[in-house]
Amino acid sequence: MHEYAFYLGCIAPNRYPGSESASYRTAEKLGIKLLDLKGASCCPAPGAFGSIDLNIWYAMAARNLVLAEQMKKDIALICNGCYKSIWEVNHKLKHNDELRDGVNEVLKGIDMEFKGTIDVFHLAELFYDPEICGVKKIRDSVTVPLTGTRIAVHYGCHLMKPKKERHFGTTEAPTWIEEMVAALGAEPVEYRNKMLCCGAGGGVRGYDIVHSLDITNEKMIALQEAKVDALTEVCPFCQLQFDRGQIEIQEKFGVTYNLPVLHYCELLGLAQGMSPQELALDLHGISCEPFLQKVL
Amino acid sequence: MARTKGYPAPLEEKLKDTRLYSDEENPQFTKTVEKISMTIPHMCYQCGTCTASCPSAPRSSYRIRKFVRRALLGLEMEALNDPDLWLCTTCYSCTDRCPRDIAPTDVIMAMRNLAFKRDIVPVNFLKTVTAIYSSGHGVPNNDVNRAAREKLGLPRDPPTTHGYPEFIKGIQYILDYYELKKNADRIIKEREG
Repeated sequence: MHEYAFYLGCIAPNRYPGSESASYRTAEKLGIKLLDLKGASCCPAPGAFGSIDLNIWYAMAARNLVLAEQMKKDIALICNGCYKSIWEVNHKLKHNDELRDGVNEVLKGIDMEFKGTIDVFHLAELFYDPEICGVKKIRDSVTVPLTGTRIAVHYGCHLMKPKKERHFGTTEAPTWIEEMVAALGAEPVEYRNKMLCCGAGGGVRGYDIVHSLDITNEKMIALQEAKVDALTEVCPFCQLQFDRGQIEIQEKFGVTYNLPVLHYCELLGLAQGMSPQELALDLHGISCEPFLQKVL
Repeated sequence: MARTKGYPAPLEEKLKDTRLYSDEENPQFTKTVEKISMTIPHMCYQCGTCTASCPSAPRSSYRIRKFVRRALLGLEMEALNDPDLWLCTTCYSCTDRCPRDIAPTDVIMAMRNLAFKRDIVPVNFLKTVTAIYSSGHGVPNNDVNRAAREKLGLPRDPPTTHGYPEFIKGIQYILDYYELKKNADRIIKEREG
């Protein structure tokens, strides 16, 4: 069993708790145990905090990293925004002595020190990594195959971009999450502008909601053309933007899509036999019912 | 016809006159942006790949290429006072495609940092700060969600600062160290009364 400190973030535990629940249970079936990271806070939001003062962003993220260092466990997380903060600050502080000294000067006041002893992973990348889990193991864990459904993938931005700092290869047309969707028995579907941003990041959702939703709407149009049954993603902030965003798009633009949006962990949970109730799918803004009827 | 973007009046005036005056340039601005952003806007040859890759460009007057140019020319006040500065979703598409290996996204982040030092910042950014100061979370828990968590067999509050509020002290220490809460409260009060 591989053990990780599970960094929760904000939106998964506080808006889509089914994703949190599904992460524990699906990961455990795949040989990954997720342990509580007690006292973790917001990553903090890279758009909001990074825009105000990058030094504060480094220090706040470092506090979360130190909590995991104290547990002597690598971090696993399920949100691209958190990945940007936690992975990137860990990486920067490990390789930049000036930044690390600055951060440790602040952390001294709360009896903490960033040592750079752990690594940070997105749970999706652990699922895909054949040395930890791998696609075959995912396929073998499926008890309720999602046969006959067409599912599109939204990769989001901050997991894989900027590519020269990350390690995921191409950011123009990746297919590794599609492989993991196919492993569940579903048909992964390509669509126009797959790598376009959801529109929420950088503080834009709060700054200019209509501008932000217009980007989301562009993606929704492309998804509608591709005739998909559901959209899956690996970022609760993107999930919020597509799920609650569809309701806001309806109010502001008068367009209705009713496309179910599920985090990959929720989708995996369904395929491993978790019920919609166990995934709290009723908390979604857009009903997952049409999709569930095809599956269950 | 008057523009409706709501630019500050001096910037509106400035944009009508497209000539460049030497007293508007601040070479130090270029250096400061390069230091904070850890990237190299002075290498830009203005090809426009960044603007073409930008999800915000087709639906606004925001042009990332223009901001990189302003960084290079040291046009500090023109850059910091432009409300379009806050329309970058930080998607990093421009960064992945830049043929000069610049990270335009990080140029924007550095400019936003410098704008904040002059109290130029949209209020929603500050509200995230105050939410984190009081609860540790930018998006805090609520009663509907607590009930749902209980049904799932999860603790009503997640094992974060919500479940262990004694950790909030450390967060407040960090934010107070930089006087961020004080400044956020002051700016919100000035804007909203």
